[in-house]
Amino acid sequence: MSPRRTDTGGRIDRLKTIRFTFDGTAYTGHAGDTLASALLAKGVILLGRSFKYHRPRGLLTAGVEEPNALVTVLKGEVREPNIPATMVEIHDGLVAVSQNRFPSLAFDINAVNQLGGKLLSAGFYYKTFMGPVVGPLKGTRFWMFCEHFIRRAAGLGSAGSAKDTARYERMNAFCDVLVVGSGPAGLMAAKAASDQGARVILADLEPRLGGSANWTGETIDGAPAADWARRTVAQLEGRDNVRLLPRTTVWGYYDGNTLAALERVSDHKDQPGKGEPRHRHWAIRAKSVVLATGAFERPLVFPGNDRPGVMLAHAAERFANEFGVLPGQRIALFTNNDSAYRAAVALKKAGAAIAAIVDVRPEPSADMRELATEAGAELLAAHAVIATEGGRALSGLKLQRFDMSNGALNGEARSMHADCLLMSGGWSPTIHLASQAGARAEWDAARQAFLPPKPAQDGPVQRWIGAGAFTGSFSTAAAMAEGRAAGISAAGATNTPAALPVVDAVPGDPDPAPVFEIRASGKSFVDFQHDVTAEDVRLAHREGFVSVEHLKRYTTLGMATDQGKSSNIPGLAIMAEALGKPIPEVGTTRFRPPFAPVSIGSLAAERFGDLRPERLTPMHDWHLANGATMYSAGLWYRPMIYALAGETVEQAYVREARATRESAGIVDVSTLGKIAVQGPDAAEFLDRVYTNMFSTLAVGKARYGLMLREDGLAFDDGTTWRLGEQDFLMTTTTANAGKVMQHLEYFLDVIWPDLKVHVTSVTDEWAGAAIGGPKARQILATCVTGTAVGNATLPFMGIVRGRIADVPVMICRLSFSGEMAFEVYCGAGHSTHVWEALLDAGKPFGLVTYGLEALGTMRIEKGHVTGAEIDGRTTARDLHLDWMLSKKKPFIGSAMMDREGLIASERLELVGLIALDNRPLNGGAHIVEEVDEANPHDSIGHITACCYSPALGKYIALALVKGGKARRGTRAHVSDPLRGRFGPVEIVSNHFYDPDGNRMHG
Amino acid sequence: MVERQSPLEPDFHVGSHGNFEHGVEVILTETRPDSIVQLAAWPGEEKMLIAAIRTVTGLALPDGAGAGVSDGVKSAFGFAPGKFIVAGEAEGLADAFAKVVTPVIGTVTDISHGRTAIRIAGPKAEWVLSKFFAIDFALTAFAVGAGRSTVHHDIFAQIQRTGTDQFDIYVFRSFARSVWKALCRASEEVGYDVQ
Repeated sequence: MSPRRTDTGGRIDRLKTIRFTFDGTAYTGHAGDTLASALLAKGVILLGRSFKYHRPRGLLTAGVEEPNALVTVLKGEVREPNIPATMVEIHDGLVAVSQNRFPSLAFDINAVNQLGGKLLSAGFYYKTFMGPVVGPLKGTRFWMFCEHFIRRAAGLGSAGSAKDTARYERMNAFCDVLVVGSGPAGLMAAKAASDQGARVILADLEPRLGGSANWTGETIDGAPAADWARRTVAQLEGRDNVRLLPRTTVWGYYDGNTLAALERVSDHKDQPGKGEPRHRHWAIRAKSVVLATGAFERPLVFPGNDRPGVMLAHAAERFANEFGVLPGQRIALFTNNDSAYRAAVALKKAGAAIAAIVDVRPEPSADMRELATEAGAELLAAHAVIATEGGRALSGLKLQRFDMSNGALNGEARSMHADCLLMSGGWSPTIHLASQAGARAEWDAARQAFLPPKPAQDGPVQRWIGAGAFTGSFSTAAAMAEGRAAGISAAGATNTPAALPVVDAVPGDPDPAPVFEIRASGKSFVDFQHDVTAEDVRLAHREGFVSVEHLKRYTTLGMATDQGKSSNIPGLAIMAEALGKPIPEVGTTRFRPPFAPVSIGSLAAERFGDLRPERLTPMHDWHLANGATMYSAGLWYRPMIYALAGETVEQAYVREARATRESAGIVDVSTLGKIAVQGPDAAEFLDRVYTNMFSTLAVGKARYGLMLREDGLAFDDGTTWRLGEQDFLMTTTTANAGKVMQHLEYFLDVIWPDLKVHVTSVTDEWAGAAIGGPKARQILATCVTGTAVGNATLPFMGIVRGRIADVPVMICRLSFSGEMAFEVYCGAGHSTHVWEALLDAGKPFGLVTYGLEALGTMRIEKGHVTGAEIDGRTTARDLHLDWMLSKKKPFIGSAMMDREGLIASERLELVGLIALDNRPLNGGAHIVEEVDEANPHDSIGHITACCYSPALGKYIALALVKGGKARRGTRAHVSDPLRGRFGPVEIVSNHFYDPDGNRMHG
Repeated sequence: MVERQSPLEPDFHVGSHGNFEHGVEVILTETRPDSIVQLAAWPGEEKMLIAAIRTVTGLALPDGAGAGVSDGVKSAFGFAPGKFIVAGEAEGLADAFAKVVTPVIGTVTDISHGRTAIRIAGPKAEWVLSKFFAIDFALTAFAVGAGRSTVHHDIFAQIQRTGTDQFDIYVFRSFARSVWKALCRASEEVGYDVQ
């Protein structure tokens, strides 16, 4: 057993040895230890270097509020910095290192900063580095030059750049009552609420539920409080209506009683279980919340209060009682309240010598005097610690008589030997969640603390009830009574008197003396994590800062990972004194989420490394198996090309497009948006939605349609098939399917609720294959049964139903490629079967599969528009689709489409371009009239789509060009300086190929 | 009869997976109903449509938001005001409804190919689903037979509780494999069987 580890006591398993390393040195601890307790047990008390001055620092606390002992935990290449050693549960193989030191924790070069003294006070960096002229570096440029070096010297741990391979998850939870905090108050609340039948979640950030019951040494119903807690937890564990969440920090309180929590699921394990996440983000929707989050003990502010070996009193008590570790052999205590006396007795019982209890109060109560005697401590009333001694560890302290009425020190200073000094400056309820929920904290002069306001159980947005130390009720008996009442009330029941567990506790007055600082020579730290001293706070006052919010920003008091958990009130008290105002008039800052640091991975949860779902066509696997290079189109994956060995992309798509025009090609068009439009008013609805008429469309026929937005700009296009008198199948572009669906639903729900029309997405119901080319009809004729496919039965825009390979299909004769083409639709589950049957049928005719590149090439050759041209800025006229604007009826956009700006002659209009230098064109390249390559300017438009056209044997493009139609037959230049492309082009009609549609109509 | 191809096929691996050494707590499967039909009533005609569901399937659908029923072979549930999903093992359900649901009552849309039904069952089914969907899966809040419309990962999902610890999730076919893979991954922690 190590020298500081007690032979008995604590809730660690001494039979189980755990091996870990800290700063490369191997150590052992026991199951149940934190990194802090295990290192303390080995006598390691130097655990960090301070933020600015690089002063040696040891443990200040035993919990989440620890500001000093921040470590980096390494897991392989992954490093996680700034974790309080008090929150790291040790496990075999744990590797932790200290931070903010070079070359080592014991010898840190930057400790020279301590010599800077007053130079490095608040605002030093801004005053020194912002503004001066140093050679060529003026103003902020000088700061930018220095910043790198300053940041290297100051700060916390550094994050790694290795990919985090851990798994993170999210969990949605619902409950009647969420209890935050599992101390005596929280346990009582959870039990009482679950007794009422409520669904309860009990969350606590510690691995061991029970809170203070685990370390106060009190008894409940005659047994140690820890045993009561264990029994109560076991009882709750056995209930179906209770979920216990240890290692879970509730860090955010949001509207609608939604709370965010982080569960550290496997950080404490050597290896997570199979499939087990590292962290789990809980989104908890609670009907009511019981806040039983306890209180933080405050440090006292006096010179040298940051030396390793100086610790909060309750932390030492906790190390002794919960972990069986003594923080020192000869311990002194410095307090302004009664709670430290209990710690003294506990440490005495655990085996430490208590040198003295230094109390700022002139007359501690008789009970306290008795406790001091029991602890074997010299009681020094009306005294204060004015300095600490030692290097990287405490060796002694200096005391002086102190008058708390005026803060004056008097008499001779006295030295005392001690290797540990415990301090207690009173307690601050942990009101963070209530503050986040909007509660304005109220100053309680007796407790010298900000307390939460009255319960907001009936609040319109948040419904919470406080219990225990959170409300300022610091005795266990009061906490348990409040907890029970809160639990019952939160469950919606009426509190009835009942016998409560009997608590045997050390007596004590919960109210501290209003002493926060002992003013003497030397650095007195208020915010340990950010190296903010009492003098920094006064400096801020002298420099004119009066608001507590400004104080925070100027001095950085209360920033960083601990968010001022231990420093807020002392800092505020010192500021108030400097201002000559009472504390409540100075006010306090509003706490914001998160309560404690949250892993970003937990927020990403299952989306970590997988930002979007994949959307696959029914023939996806066939495409992959047959050599397709897939292309991401929104969420969809579509074949780009089916390259033969050694082919480039251009060679592949040129071959595919040429083969289609010469014989036949087939392409997967399953991604087209498909919407069933059904009901007695379906035709009328389509007349309103489309610019052209659909009510005149015959059953069994399809029609190309154009939609405008309400502002008159083009929105989407596609064909709509009339399958029955009241039954239409609308197709949309792939990219706009969702938007069109929303558009239709909006008009049906909001604008025309009187129309009897239902719209349903059937995109995934139908697989689509477009087969086109001069041989397409012959191919269909060989494999389609149940219908003829000749011109008489299946004219242009006609629809027939038949079967292919025994599967029912719908065939519509329409063309995007400009060839005689057909779209074959079948149930998605039969798609590969039908696709393969078409390919088999097409083999003798030279049928090829083609991808998006060839599809795009053929549509450019035909001058068809897609989303690249319907880009939210173009009108139907710009795209030469004005022939589709019906004059016989109003439609969405018709009222706005003739606005002056939308019919101006200089608008960008769709044109075709031919590269005259026979070089490829680029999408997005500008069109200019000037011939000056070095100074291209006055863009007259841009390219929207481009390709090599096998039909024309040229590089061609579609473009939007000012007054485009009038420029046909003229020349311009393409200018693309970023990609080094400049060259002459001819402006032509967008219909490059078969402008009369002879091939399509057959 | 040509068999329908499942969108899950390449990632549908029958057997035990994940942390199953101590037993599996979730069973994942694809129910593959031959018919999935969406029915929608015009305002005021909901009861007529519910009656039509009874006529065609024999299922007595309770009235009320999200109410539903399942007899193990056929299932029906409401997923939006006046809108219902009906699924069954027999083909041709849409045709049968087309004869009963007149244009006066509402519309019938066959989505048998367009939706994939994934079943998750077992004591940890609620736990796994809670990782994805922000809805309350407790039996007291989500009764057997009832349905919910929800969304995860930008994917629309309709969920029916078909047993105390069994849920059928209807998703768009094109997203089904992504959902399946996500469910499998989320189930690893508790051990799962694919059947």
